[in-house]
Amino acid sequence: MSSLQGYVDRRVLLVLQDGRAIVGVLSGFDQKSNIVLADSKERVYSLDEGVEEIPLGLYLVKGEMICLVGELDEEVDKSVDLASIRAEPLPPIRYG
Amino acid sequence: MLIFSVFKTLTDQTVTVELKNDLSITGVLKSVDQFLNIRLDNIKVADEARHPHMMAVKNCFIRGSVVRYVQLPAEHVDTQLLEDATRRGTRKHCILARVT
Amino acid sequence: MDPSVTGIQEPFDLIRLSLSERVFVKLRGDRQLTGILHAYDGHMNLIMSDVEETIMIVDPEAATNGQGVVNIAKRKMEMLFVRGDGVILVSPPART
Repeated sequence: MSSLQGYVDRRVLLVLQDGRAIVGVLSGFDQKSNIVLADSKERVYSLDEGVEEIPLGLYLVKGEMICLVGELDEEVDKSVDLASIRAEPLPPIRYG
Repeated sequence: MLIFSVFKTLTDQTVTVELKNDLSITGVLKSVDQFLNIRLDNIKVADEARHPHMMAVKNCFIRGSVVRYVQLPAEHVDTQLLEDATRRGTRKHCILARVT
Repeated sequence: MDPSVTGIQEPFDLIRLSLSERVFVKLRGDRQLTGILHAYDGHMNLIMSDVEETIMIVDPEAATNGQGVVNIAKRKMEMLFVRGDGVILVSPPART
């Protein structure tokens, strides 16, 4: 599981199996890809209003719930006006 | 093990990973592990207008268990070698099965 | 037929004999593939080339006489890895 090594202390986006998107600082992981996220916030997408950020604090996410971990380009992320984005939430994983 | 080796030979090639949530991500394959977890660099999500969620993501780790397909660069896959390795692999497994 | 003649003693033997032949694969999520089989393993992970995928999309909204309308989407892919957990069956080519 060397693949998550480069993400420690980086701001990341977690996409979960149920379609939720959570951003935070990846403070640790293990061989089952369980992940500890600091200062995490869920980003709730909808077609009717802009993206809502819900603070979650320190989160431990079970490896089997994880779909994808993406490193955020902080410059790009800050330049995005979340309030102006209209999008459907990501679909959940089917037949996982 | 065979499939893991195939992915290792495709390191630094461009692949498209299709997830079981219908997200399709194209990027440069940076690494793969025995669970077929995948690291992609320089990623691009198909139909970005519908999926702005990953706009600020430049590289990512994809859990092997959520992969449906990976589209591979055909010119970098030696199909003859694959078939031979698959036959060898299964025969070994058959011999083992008969012995035990 | 006598297994010593066909060389088929266990299910995977049938797939082994289909290497480098066009096979039909049924997948979870109302998908099916045809393509030339080049590799597989014990998880039924597959590598295929010259693949055509057919997806059946049932639209319950556009129901006629109580039955959902089935839309069919097709696409082609040159070289494809298929994760084994989605595979329902692999069928060898018709022998004539």
